[in-house]
Amino acid sequence: MKSKIINVGGGDVAEIKIGGCEPLVFLGGPCAIESRVHALEMCQRIGEICDRLNIPWVYKSCYDKDSRSAVTSFHGVGIEEGLDILAEIRQSQKVPVVCDFSDANLANQTAQVVDFLQIPAYLCRQTHILTAAGKTGQPIHLKKGQFMSPWNMKNSVRKIEATGNEQILLTDRGTFFGYNMLINDYRNFPIMMETGYPVCFDATHSVQLPTSMGNVSGGQREFIPYLVRAAVGCGINALFMEVHDNPDEALSDANTQLNIRYLENILSQAKATHETRLELAERWGDDNVHVND
Amino acid sequence: MRHGLNWRSGGEMTMSTLTTNRTIRDILLSPTDIPVMSARTLVKEALELMSAKRLGLACVIDDDGKLIGLFTDGDLRRLLLKSQKPISALFADDIITHARTEFTSVDRNMDIEEALKLLQDREIFDLPVLDENGRLEGVIHLHPALKELLEK
Repeated sequence: MKSKIINVGGGDVAEIKIGGCEPLVFLGGPCAIESRVHALEMCQRIGEICDRLNIPWVYKSCYDKDSRSAVTSFHGVGIEEGLDILAEIRQSQKVPVVCDFSDANLANQTAQVVDFLQIPAYLCRQTHILTAAGKTGQPIHLKKGQFMSPWNMKNSVRKIEATGNEQILLTDRGTFFGYNMLINDYRNFPIMMETGYPVCFDATHSVQLPTSMGNVSGGQREFIPYLVRAAVGCGINALFMEVHDNPDEALSDANTQLNIRYLENILSQAKATHETRLELAERWGDDNVHVND
Repeated sequence: MRHGLNWRSGGEMTMSTLTTNRTIRDILLSPTDIPVMSARTLVKEALELMSAKRLGLACVIDDDGKLIGLFTDGDLRRLLLKSQKPISALFADDIITHARTEFTSVDRNMDIEEALKLLQDREIFDLPVLDENGRLEGVIHLHPALKELLEK
């Protein structure tokens, strides 16, 4: 199933196309902006890997972490400092950036800097948030809530479309399987593709064990490579992973972020799998097992 | 001419007697009286509209008012037997996904007799009525048509 193509970035930074038969796009970076120096260093290191592998990419990091389990957890550097850092990254690295926002009133300010506006999974059906994001005119990275069925994401898509914005990427980040546990249902990809928009797999949040450690989320990052190969084989258009140089010391999502030393290995396999998937689609056409057969 | 459809009350009356010089515009249900919807109407919304309008026929039109699909009670029955999706997923589908896009239609100048024969031959209850550009003008439905005929 061939999706439409959305455009991210352009102008001062690289223009990235996501969808259709375009190359697999990587969205990645540290979960939170921890400091200017750390953000710049991570961007440079990830950029070097993506350049080496010739993988188009978008830098991801957030200024506000509003869904932390504990009130004492690191909440982020804040919007002013965070957007300054992201602006500097865009300027110096020429890479587009994606960042989420959790308050409809912050949509415009965020969109003035970032190329790609992310809707957090927990907020994926909030009309004020979706409408505010859509009205900025920027492409929207919409994560499927862990509690949402893939077919009901169409309602969220239509809330954005109602603003005239039809630049949407839909991402699966796991589905609640009882309490403190997620499972990956890969039927979500073809079902969300029925909207016509490209789809993405968030590998690092998919291995999260939500708030499994009292007031902190756990995670099983050892499963990331397996889940990535399978998701790319399903025909996703983009891959999302949070990457850190020292996950154990990360200020958020320490149990799920991928150590950067594994990034080249995983991205290499993902790229090869995606290219094989495109070749197979070219040779064999769309998946065509029908309900009546 | 007899079509096998007779009405007896104080004397035999054939279809020809009932329909003399009348066209289907006399029995046309207008678009405001029938379930008319866009392609992206959810199945659940379509069923609600069909129930509200008390007609087992959903008419799917495009932005220009052209009829692009039909979905009937029978289609729903067959869909329920065929689909293995959860009902919540089926409800969230766009109606056009399940609508038939090839259908018989008539124009408003057709004789009632001819139209009723068409309904009878095809064993269907409804026929969409389109203008020369394919836009939906209404529907003829067997029961209101009979009611109209019998009351006059």
